[in-house]
Amino acid sequence: MSNQNAASAPLPRRTWRKPPFIANPAIRWGIIILSIVYIVWALATLPFDWVRIQEGLPRAARIFSSAFPPDLKRPGLVLDGLMETLRIAILATILGVGASIPIAFMAASNLAPRPIYLLGRGIIIVARSFHPVIVAIVFVKAVGFGPLAGILTLAIYSIGFVAKMLAERIEEIDWGQVEALRAAGAGYFITLIYAVLPQIMPRQIGLTIYQFDSNLRASAVVGIVGAGGIGATLMNAFRRYDYDFALAITLIIIAAILVSEAISGRIRRKIW
Amino acid sequence: MLRITNLVKCYGNDKAVLSDLDLEVPGESCVAIIGASGAGKSTLLRCINRLVEPTSGSIELNGVNLTQLRGSALRGARRRIGMIFQSFNLIDRLTVMENVLSGRLGYVPFWRAAARRFPQQDIDRAFHLMERVGIAHYANKRADELSGGERQRVGVVRALMQEPEILLADEPTASLDPKTSMQIMELLRSLSEEYRLPVLINIHNVQEAKEYTQRIVGMRFGRIIFDGLPSDLDADAMDKVYAGVPAAERQGAEGGIAAGAAV
Repeated sequence: MSNQNAASAPLPRRTWRKPPFIANPAIRWGIIILSIVYIVWALATLPFDWVRIQEGLPRAARIFSSAFPPDLKRPGLVLDGLMETLRIAILATILGVGASIPIAFMAASNLAPRPIYLLGRGIIIVARSFHPVIVAIVFVKAVGFGPLAGILTLAIYSIGFVAKMLAERIEEIDWGQVEALRAAGAGYFITLIYAVLPQIMPRQIGLTIYQFDSNLRASAVVGIVGAGGIGATLMNAFRRYDYDFALAITLIIIAAILVSEAISGRIRRKIW
Repeated sequence: MLRITNLVKCYGNDKAVLSDLDLEVPGESCVAIIGASGAGKSTLLRCINRLVEPTSGSIELNGVNLTQLRGSALRGARRRIGMIFQSFNLIDRLTVMENVLSGRLGYVPFWRAAARRFPQQDIDRAFHLMERVGIAHYANKRADELSGGERQRVGVVRALMQEPEILLADEPTASLDPKTSMQIMELLRSLSEEYRLPVLINIHNVQEAKEYTQRIVGMRFGRIIFDGLPSDLDADAMDKVYAGVPAAERQGAEGGIAAGAAV
């Protein structure tokens, strides 16, 4: 075959170039030039106050230098905050994952009738469309400062991720198992429990652990806008210009997240 | 007694996968259905328990017309029709016992089934049947830990748990090695006698069909073109069933089956 090709080609070609990503040169250059023009225009029109930035730099340096060395002045406060964060993360995970399971079934196109499917997907899209900080601000307004706002925020955040991933797993199930139970005259819901739930169980457990991890991280962030936990402790330290304490808290948060990721990563590897 | 009259199945607007098919199976007989891929064997079996909706015609099982049933009446009828699958279709991650008991899901109330609290007589029956086919010692093993032959036995027991009036086996031995495959065929034959059940077996292996069944039905293009004793299936009849399927027609028929499997 290769001999034949060589024979039919009059001259062996010796140059080769990777074909361009966008074949049409007009479109290719158009996109490049437009991007450059846009970036220049965006930088030129955004109000950067260079004088203010110059003044601010030494101030930033002062804050950082006053944060060193980090000082764990009130360990009791940090421990309380950390424990509250942990409770928020655990409760939010239970609540969020618990709600995710039925929503995932609703949002699986192979199981749910069309209107239910659309409703399920709609819930997931709404839950995913806002960053947890924005949701937290709304809940802090609605139910007041403190852990309840954090729990509700992270529960919604959990639904957005867990329900979506779980629905996708449900759509990949081995349909033969469902068919076998339908052929045996089993009802719809008992078929879900017997034929679908066992198939998605490993993914379900893995997602729950991952989401707990994720909630722990996010609960430190939403705490900053008033939703309780260690984030609130951190924010209070900042407000009191207690920068060395703030840095200590930050380091503790990082340590806590590292520990939880190490543990959950190990468990997930065992299951998956 | 299973009586199928004028059964038609079309997928979409395509050519009919089953056209005007008549078949009568009296009680207590083992019937093999042979035919090339795409002949409509699978569709025929699936029409009987309505995993596939027939387009027209009637299917009567012991006097009940299955084609008209809806909702709980349909589930009630399905309980009486056991099905055995080529790929076993066991719940891999559940135990053998749970798989066997899942044959009772049409009878047991939701909460009892969900909590695995099955009635004593179901558990007795499960152990009895598992003993009968030689898998009782696997009761608490996960189904995916078993070998192919053992898994198909679980499939058979699950179907028998339904107290079926008929067994449908869709290529029950196609995923098994020759020896286990013969064991499963032998098991189906002896169970058919023991429980006085009609058994319909879709099968590719004509040798096994001849050896283990009393009647052979040959299908081609959705029609029955042979129906007789295994001894009547000579080379001529085999040719009619299998030979010279034009590629274009074959593709059409297979496309229909694939579309049906996806539904």
